[in-house]
Amino acid sequence: MAASGFSSTGMGTETGAIIAGPTATRDTGLTRLRSAGLPLGLAAIVLVAWQLAVTLGHIPPVILPSPISIGKYIYERYDILLMHAVPTTLESAAGFAIATLLGIGLAILITYSEIAREALYPNLVFFQLIPKIALAPLFIIWLGIGSQSRIAFAVFIAFFPVVISTSAGFASVDKSMLRLCRALTANEWQIFSSVRFPAALPYIFSGMKIAITLAIIGVIIGEFITAQAGLGYLIIFATARADTEISMAAIVVLCVCGLLLYGLVALAESIANRFYSAENP
Amino acid sequence: MLAVQPALDAMPAAEPLVSVTKVQKTYFTRQAPVQAVASASVDVARGEFVSLLGPSGCGKSTLLMMIAGLEQPTGGSILLGGTEVRQPRREIGVIFQDATLLPWKSALDNVLFPVRILKLPIEPYRRRARELLAMVGLSDFENKKPWQLSGGMRQRVAICRALIHDPDILLMDEPFSALDAITRDQMNVALSEILETYKKTVIFVTHSIREAAFLSDRVMVMGGRPSTIVLDMKKPFERPRRFEIEETPEFAAVCRKLRLTIEEAHGGPSQRPHADQRAGVIE
Repeated sequence: MAASGFSSTGMGTETGAIIAGPTATRDTGLTRLRSAGLPLGLAAIVLVAWQLAVTLGHIPPVILPSPISIGKYIYERYDILLMHAVPTTLESAAGFAIATLLGIGLAILITYSEIAREALYPNLVFFQLIPKIALAPLFIIWLGIGSQSRIAFAVFIAFFPVVISTSAGFASVDKSMLRLCRALTANEWQIFSSVRFPAALPYIFSGMKIAITLAIIGVIIGEFITAQAGLGYLIIFATARADTEISMAAIVVLCVCGLLLYGLVALAESIANRFYSAENP
Repeated sequence: MLAVQPALDAMPAAEPLVSVTKVQKTYFTRQAPVQAVASASVDVARGEFVSLLGPSGCGKSTLLMMIAGLEQPTGGSILLGGTEVRQPRREIGVIFQDATLLPWKSALDNVLFPVRILKLPIEPYRRRARELLAMVGLSDFENKKPWQLSGGMRQRVAICRALIHDPDILLMDEPFSALDAITRDQMNVALSEILETYKKTVIFVTHSIREAAFLSDRVMVMGGRPSTIVLDMKKPFERPRRFEIEETPEFAAVCRKLRLTIEEAHGGPSQRPHADQRAGVIE
């Protein structure tokens, strides 16, 4: 909320003082260059140091392949990498989507039903305390070696942050706003769609951003255990053959896929912000 | 102006629009029952501006919330246009201490919020919303979001929102108490100007003696433990009122009378309930 100074409370139509626009217009270009340049510069320095260490230090490629050789492998064998990237990305996206829907659904249940809240919440928190990765092999026993077991495991580890942050978002609604809605004879659906849900959006998206990274982890772990394709499978396969170069290349591609999925969530968030952000004029 | 809810206009003018009879409210807490309102009776005529004045914790907000249908009385009856208030009704517009605007909506869309909730046609009301915003001097701020408005401006948007569906009654729960003193004086003048144009029946809860004296046709002082209405002061001043009346000896005399009544009801100035007690009793 903006501060309310009494200089701006007159009945007149004075504008300038209180309309907060982009204030630092002078050096935004420079600031942007800096915020993009610094991390890229640091990454470049690390890559060069890595390359030099491998070349000058005569480190065998099995231990640590050089960035250039990894890049060369990606460039030459992008078809193989792409082939393995597709199932990993799709399964992650599917797991994430189900986790999000399930998480929001459970949050609605927790918000609107006291019994559901009392029954579910402690159990959800308790479940969260289990090192869930330990349960991954059980999913193979339960659901077989197909993609359904990897997706199910991704959902299993990714839905929790969505539930927690979404229900916190639903609860964050201003109590007097709810009273206003009741005074206007609004029904529960109207309150949910026009007040609760939009107010919870920032919370939902922060839960989704955690969920997407967890979903990828879930799928990779699933692929480590059993799979015929996928980047996790490729990493395990290559490492077993001491082909570190392939392994590293697969990890690079995995990072790109992760960035892509995360970027899609961030994009959805910025679209939602266009309608539901307090700050967007 | 749009006539939205003409239902209550059919009533004879002599009948009170709001009739509160021996209303009481007891909260049952874990320790002991807390009686917020012991017995309150108020009749409010159409077009009247009635203030409920009293210190924090005297039950005045509770009484207002019961009239709004947001709280259920544990005894007595509240009639609005001759029928019992059991739940919130659309003939009522409520204004709270905080503006409670939707932060992601523009001033104009916030004013139109009740129109959407009540499923009324947006377009004709958009014109009315613009009229209302112009009335309170916010024409240039229609498309601004709440964070771009000052506290006084936000509360003016809230007043426009309460008026948009043309309710018969405005219930105002300490609407200006979160504002600074200068803004508050401006808002009092603005509110009386608005009511010159859009004639409404108003029940106004405040703990400011000056505010009650300046705005009201009638000031009801609430107090005592358990709380009742201890004074019903009619027509302190003629309308329309200018801010200058606050400097007259008559105004000072009215304020003095109100203050003495409040102090008497609470056993002297030293024993006034502390502001902190408010939360426990009202919310």
